[in-house]
Amino acid sequence: MIPEGNGRIIGYYGYPRRSLLAAARRDFGANLPVVDLDIDHGAPDSGLLPQATCRIIANIMNNAVRLSGRLAVVVASVGEDKCDGGRNIAWLLKGMGFNVVESRFPSGENEDRPLVWSTCSGPLAGRIDRIMETVVDPPKRATLPRESPAGTAFPGELPVGASLPGESPAGAAFPGELPAGAAPRRCEPTHGFWGVPPNDFRILGLFPPATHIYGWTRCVEAGRPADMDLECFVDPGVPTVFFTQSFCAKQDLAHYLAEKHGGLEVDCHREINDSIMAKVEAFIKLS
Amino acid sequence: MLIADCGSTWTKILDTGSGSFEIIKTRDMVRRSDLHFDIATGHSARGRCASFRNELIALAEGALALVGEADFSVVDVGGRDVKFVRFGDRKVKKLDWNLSCGSSTGATIELLGNYYEVDFSALTASPEWINVTCGVFGMEKVLEQVSTGTPAQDSIAMFLHGMVRNVYDFTGRPETLYLSGGFCENRCFLKTFEGYCDIRPLGRAVPLEGLKAK
Repeated sequence: MIPEGNGRIIGYYGYPRRSLLAAARRDFGANLPVVDLDIDHGAPDSGLLPQATCRIIANIMNNAVRLSGRLAVVVASVGEDKCDGGRNIAWLLKGMGFNVVESRFPSGENEDRPLVWSTCSGPLAGRIDRIMETVVDPPKRATLPRESPAGTAFPGELPVGASLPGESPAGAAFPGELPAGAAPRRCEPTHGFWGVPPNDFRILGLFPPATHIYGWTRCVEAGRPADMDLECFVDPGVPTVFFTQSFCAKQDLAHYLAEKHGGLEVDCHREINDSIMAKVEAFIKLS
Repeated sequence: MLIADCGSTWTKILDTGSGSFEIIKTRDMVRRSDLHFDIATGHSARGRCASFRNELIALAEGALALVGEADFSVVDVGGRDVKFVRFGDRKVKKLDWNLSCGSSTGATIELLGNYYEVDFSALTASPEWINVTCGVFGMEKVLEQVSTGTPAQDSIAMFLHGMVRNVYDFTGRPETLYLSGGFCENRCFLKTFEGYCDIRPLGRAVPLEGLKAK
């Protein structure tokens, strides 16, 4: 959420390098709110982009224009960890006078964070929110397993039933989150959701609790935002919805992967409509 | 029991007691406050029925009720969208629902046919096709064809051919395809489809069969 008032804000989009976000906080104020500009915060349409543009990219522009002078800096993901749209918007924002710091996430900074929210049971929207919060406030590494357990598909994936050790000083797996005993356990997936966090979260309410999260969102939790292998991984046999925003280049991946795995490709421009909801509902019920 | 498939442009109503079957324009259906269904499906059914059923599920269950094969594909080409289900061993193996991109092609062909006064029963299938990305883009191509001298009849047959190609690709290019919806009655559409695969029309009441089966 964007704090009310006229206070300064650090904006970012995508998954910037942690060092650049830390530098922005150091340079502009450690206590400044850090706001994800990818999200629809209710800003009016800037009118600066074509209508047929990825809604996430449009959100970035709309939020930046609305916040304008409040934005101390925009830490902008412009590399393979984001998309061409992210790079183009950074260039546009710079030309409009915004203070933009470009971030290209190098593979050398990939992390092997455990997949907790991607593979546990619970409401999908809440788990995706938790994952996206880790871009700015990652769990302390000291509290997390350092090595992948044997038999897991990707670094960081926990065995079924395993939970995070609650060893942080506060007794919580994630800062300010669950107490040690309540750390979520990995569950067997009944369904899958692949993709980026959607512009309209209502679609997420259709998925059963044991839905595993795949795609770029899983990459975020793992701390590997440009890892194509991880992004394109899904568990074989799990009925998966491959979601993208319309006019996003990830539609190519979603189309291919849906065909390959017998999943359902879904794209949506702006808000979810009844037809999209019905399509996903039918897939979940019939698969 | 009164059951209905309330599509975007046409509403199909079946009285399971008397067996009477009626097809009315949805624009007329929405004006009739007395019409309330026991079970219904379709874009325009919500709020007009005691029990609402998902369109894809109704299509799938209707196809299973009408087709005895273990492995088959069915597609419903509607006014607003295209729905597809593939079965293997009579279980759903794949389904899809073509929405915004590729949408409204059925309604568009109806609009064009009315505007140019096309008799679809006499329309000859065209070996040529135009790119029908969606209803709006397809209409633009028809208008372009007409403005550059192609007869309207031929242009619309090319539009139908473009639709057929889209549906054929959308369903994964099967050898045999069962067809549901109003295009079962469009001879030119069926003749064009025969150039691609064995197309088998099931009629306009497939989702109703699904509602009955439930």
